[in-house]
Amino acid sequence: MKSLKRTRDITPLPSRNFKITVDDQPVDACEGETVLSVLLAANYARVMENDRNVASGAYCGMGVCHCCQVKINAKHKQRACQTLVEPQMSVETLTNRFKEEGIKHD
Amino acid sequence: MTSQTHDKVVIVGGGPAGTAAAAELARHGLKSVIIDEAPKLGGVIYRGPLRQTDSLPHLDDNLKRAMTALQTRYQAHSDSIEVKTQTRVLGPEGSNQLLLSDNSGLSRQPYGHLILATGCHERSVPFPGWQLPGVMLLGGVQLQLKSGLVRPGQRMALVGTGPLLPLVACQLHKAGVDVVGVYEASPFAKLAKEAVALLNKPKLTLSGMSMMSYLKKHKIPFKYGWGIVSAQGKEQLNSIQVAPYDSQWRAQRDLAQQVDVDAIGVGYGFVARTQLAMLLGLDHHYSKVSGYVPVLDEWHQSQNHEAFVVGDSNGLLGADAAICEGQLAALRLAWQCGKITESQLSARSTKVKNKLARIKKFRFGFDRFSDRQSGLLSLAQPETVVCRCEQVRREQLDKAIAQGVKDITSLKMRTRIGMGDCQGKTCSSYALDYLHQAGLTENIGVIKPRFPLDPIPFTLME
Repeated sequence: MKSLKRTRDITPLPSRNFKITVDDQPVDACEGETVLSVLLAANYARVMENDRNVASGAYCGMGVCHCCQVKINAKHKQRACQTLVEPQMSVETLTNRFKEEGIKHD
Repeated sequence: MTSQTHDKVVIVGGGPAGTAAAAELARHGLKSVIIDEAPKLGGVIYRGPLRQTDSLPHLDDNLKRAMTALQTRYQAHSDSIEVKTQTRVLGPEGSNQLLLSDNSGLSRQPYGHLILATGCHERSVPFPGWQLPGVMLLGGVQLQLKSGLVRPGQRMALVGTGPLLPLVACQLHKAGVDVVGVYEASPFAKLAKEAVALLNKPKLTLSGMSMMSYLKKHKIPFKYGWGIVSAQGKEQLNSIQVAPYDSQWRAQRDLAQQVDVDAIGVGYGFVARTQLAMLLGLDHHYSKVSGYVPVLDEWHQSQNHEAFVVGDSNGLLGADAAICEGQLAALRLAWQCGKITESQLSARSTKVKNKLARIKKFRFGFDRFSDRQSGLLSLAQPETVVCRCEQVRREQLDKAIAQGVKDITSLKMRTRIGMGDCQGKTCSSYALDYLHQAGLTENIGVIKPRFPLDPIPFTLME
């Protein structure tokens, strides 16, 4: 499996780091980081697709705009900017419940 | 209620205002609890890196000093300050309690006294293409530099107004980003007029000048009287159009230029974060600079509810002022609790009040310079989305207003503006300005915050 490269770090990652997966690809991450920082470091601009099928990237970056919601550990609508990474975390971008399950009317 | 619970001072927000209030309370023998949604004290401005690092090559010494000062202020009194990080306030619960959520679940936080130091968030100005991935608010860009230690783009431009533009431009450049242009909406002549106001903080003015000379030295264009017109890209941002602005900040489209970028920072101002104050029932009034802000006395205490509101959450004055306001509220509270005498209150607060007055003179100079003009509202075209969550377009606002809508609650019901995940935090400033521009200035109201202020996951309710 191809690993995602982090090309946008300003300072090197500390030696004690771990991996998370983003869209099933492993990527380095370290304690204290937000999911959003990992996504940006790995050159992900498109992060969320909202319930109206419009893609967006991080916009306010501080938990206000809800434009960076991703699926984390199988839970939808988690704000990437407000979630700290943990070892073995699984992040899925550009997905939402409507897209996965369709709109139900029962 | 036990006396211990009753005495507890609960401070919402661990930025400069909240931390200064806690330290001042501790100095007079009062214990407090700081609640903050972030993993670390400091607020958006002084939190610093969230991960371990040996150096911060892109941040200036002033910022590093201020970040250290805040941590020192807390450390000196840490025995008296309980800190609950990564904890969100969902709203009031019964009387004298707040409902909180954190990773482990929901809990209640009783309080004897309440200090709100909830800060501000950025003002959104919709323009064609502003939804494209790569378009970020200026503070969002800065958060990635300061707390994430990540470059949000390789080739970037900044558009907006105010002192944050040159500051972030320098930080981006030092972080290794190719900064291709900085566009300040206001003309230079307007800044020159504020020379007297700027002399109230000579050190800050000098540091601003040194940033401008840094940009010049590195041949980064800084254009006064220019701003954003639109953003282009198929799946993500790859260019923007910028143009000269006239005195009303109307973009002169025939003179527009294309700039190739993969990310931009947009910063046309901030709005006080007052959702919790509103849910608690504090009286508010409208201010053009800061949006709806609580009505407070000279000690930053609300008269219809005894809570104090300090820092940017009662009006935008920045971090130095926030520290002063936190100290003033804490001193007043110490006096109300009988911990200091009236003469002690007066002696200590006079110094702080004088400092705050100087900061205000400086700040008001920048407010006049950055006073947003009506032309900014016309960047959004009829088909431009103005509410991201619900994808409401400008023409829907036009239609509703033409059909007689006169206030923001009716506008919300007619168009779904402000009804999405962000609860109107992103679109309501534009909607309010738009109603004002349509000549509707009386009783237009505000998008009322709802309980819970932050989503409660089902998993926390089991």
